[in-house]
Amino acid sequence: MLNVFYFLSFLAVLSAIMVVVSKSPVHSVLYLIITFFTIAGHYVLLNAEFLFIVHIIVYAGAIMVLFLYVIMMLNLNTETEAHKSTMLKFAATICAGLLLVVLVGSLKGTEALPVNAVADEDLGSVQRLGKVMFDKFLLPFEISSVLLLAAMVGAVMLGKSEKANDIL
Amino acid sequence: MNALLVICGLSIVSLLAEIANFKKWLTAIVILGLAAAAALLVQDWNTSVSYFSDMLVFDNFALAFTGLLAFISILWFWMASDYFQAQPHHRTDRTSLIIFSIVGAVLMASYNNMAMLFLGIEILSLSLYVLAGSNKDSLFSIEAAFKYFLMGSFATGFLLMGIALLYGATGSFDIREIAAFTTSHADTLPSFFYAGVLMLLVGLAFKISAVPFHFWAPDVYGGAPTTVTAFMSTVVKIGALAAFYRMFAIGLPSTHSTWSTILMVITVLTLVLPNITAVYQSHVKRILAYSSVGHVGYILLAFTADPTGASGVVYYYLASYAVASIAAFSVLHLVEGNSESITIEYFNGLFKRNPLLAVGLTIALLSLAGIPPFPGFFGKYMVFALAIAQGYTPLVIVAVVTSLIGVYYYFRIIIAMYFQEPQQATPLPVSGAQRALAFVLIILSFALGIFPDAVLSLIQ
Repeated sequence: MLNVFYFLSFLAVLSAIMVVVSKSPVHSVLYLIITFFTIAGHYVLLNAEFLFIVHIIVYAGAIMVLFLYVIMMLNLNTETEAHKSTMLKFAATICAGLLLVVLVGSLKGTEALPVNAVADEDLGSVQRLGKVMFDKFLLPFEISSVLLLAAMVGAVMLGKSEKANDIL
Repeated sequence: MNALLVICGLSIVSLLAEIANFKKWLTAIVILGLAAAAALLVQDWNTSVSYFSDMLVFDNFALAFTGLLAFISILWFWMASDYFQAQPHHRTDRTSLIIFSIVGAVLMASYNNMAMLFLGIEILSLSLYVLAGSNKDSLFSIEAAFKYFLMGSFATGFLLMGIALLYGATGSFDIREIAAFTTSHADTLPSFFYAGVLMLLVGLAFKISAVPFHFWAPDVYGGAPTTVTAFMSTVVKIGALAAFYRMFAIGLPSTHSTWSTILMVITVLTLVLPNITAVYQSHVKRILAYSSVGHVGYILLAFTADPTGASGVVYYYLASYAVASIAAFSVLHLVEGNSESITIEYFNGLFKRNPLLAVGLTIALLSLAGIPPFPGFFGKYMVFALAIAQGYTPLVIVAVVTSLIGVYYYFRIIIAMYFQEPQQATPLPVSGAQRALAFVLIILSFALGIFPDAVLSLIQ
């Protein structure tokens, strides 16, 4: 189990670095897909099967297609990529490094927690999730419909043409 | 809860108005519906019921803030009726998006579970991203929407990460349970709990536009259509501050020592920076945007001084600020007409062109500046009194100086209205509804100033 974890983590970190390093945007997106799949593998290791499926469908599926679609529409390639100044790269490195320090610093305290926190094999199953969602978290589930409706109305409003002769 | 359901229903009704063809009556129906929602709130007063396994708790704090939201929304719809009539397209969609964001604000004022906080913030923000960009012909409007969207999503990321870390540390999304857990396990809290608190603070500080997370505010307020800006600086701000208050006063009071210093720094920055920057602005919308960021500073001052006991003062301050803002923006909206950006010169000689509007705007600005006998003065006075009682005298001195700076830029507009020659000598025609609104707002300002106790005692 631990070997699988190390393998997946190695692959995740490697492909994440490749996302940043690779010149072509399309390659970046492809590496990002690998990253998402390896992270989805971690969910399986944590018994979170529902999260695993959702992660693949939403991130590796929908969002990646959206990314590729945008890259295709904007016709991005290596030549059109904007060159960032050294100053900007420097600043970005420092910011990301600081965030890393903060995260490492806050994770250091977790050593005190028990290692075998996942006592229940069944913890992340779809059945469990469904029971919680339609019992304790019923209201958030229903209120999400308002959020989705608002998003839908907004998308139609922004997308629909406002020229006079286009009115149906 | 019933009020929330009524407001949710209103949004569906306004979507149906397009199909069933009663667009003409829509604004009237919405105002009536909001008034009905406010009436339902009175019924629940002093009951403090929690709904759906403690997801929402309608205690007096939530009821009072929901009432304020409904009331300010009614004033807003009244003010915006002209705007809706002038828009040939998407009138019903705009109305329903506004109502959706009111739903979000109500959720933010009444949540007891961080899942509801997140949903409330997202419903509110998502509708506003679209509304900020609803003037598709204007580049500024599109820029505002885009900036707001990018920065808002970024802040939401911080908020979510903070919620996740808090959940990891305490094992609950329920803010009361978190409060109980942090009190009983004060010594054994893991360090990532504090990282979570910090991220939550960043996420919420963005939503209330506290310095240094305010950079989006002037651009978004300046670029969005004026009526939408009025909505953002009143209803949205009330919702966001209510969410902020609930999170830190109910959920995290026992860890006060970890975030109070950071909050104090944020308070001082929020008092000083926007008030100084506003002096150098020539566009009135940007001045009002900076002034609204500055007012957050006074509210944060009350909150820093006494996190659990400031609810009455915060409520009164928000009420007086919202009434004055609606008044200022309603006049701004009428003076602006069809022009894209509005400088102080537009207000030259407004008193000669339309005395009623000029008097209304003067009262609003005097109230915002904090001149007695207007409610803004009593709001500031109570904030300062509270802070001095808790021993925060240096902060109060800073706040007094910044409010004096505020007087300067508010008076630039007032002087232009009375002592400059108008660019066009023609009188400014105003519809009957807007005249009535101006009267109502003037009376409200005086009433709030003369009877501050009626509002203050609601939730103290």
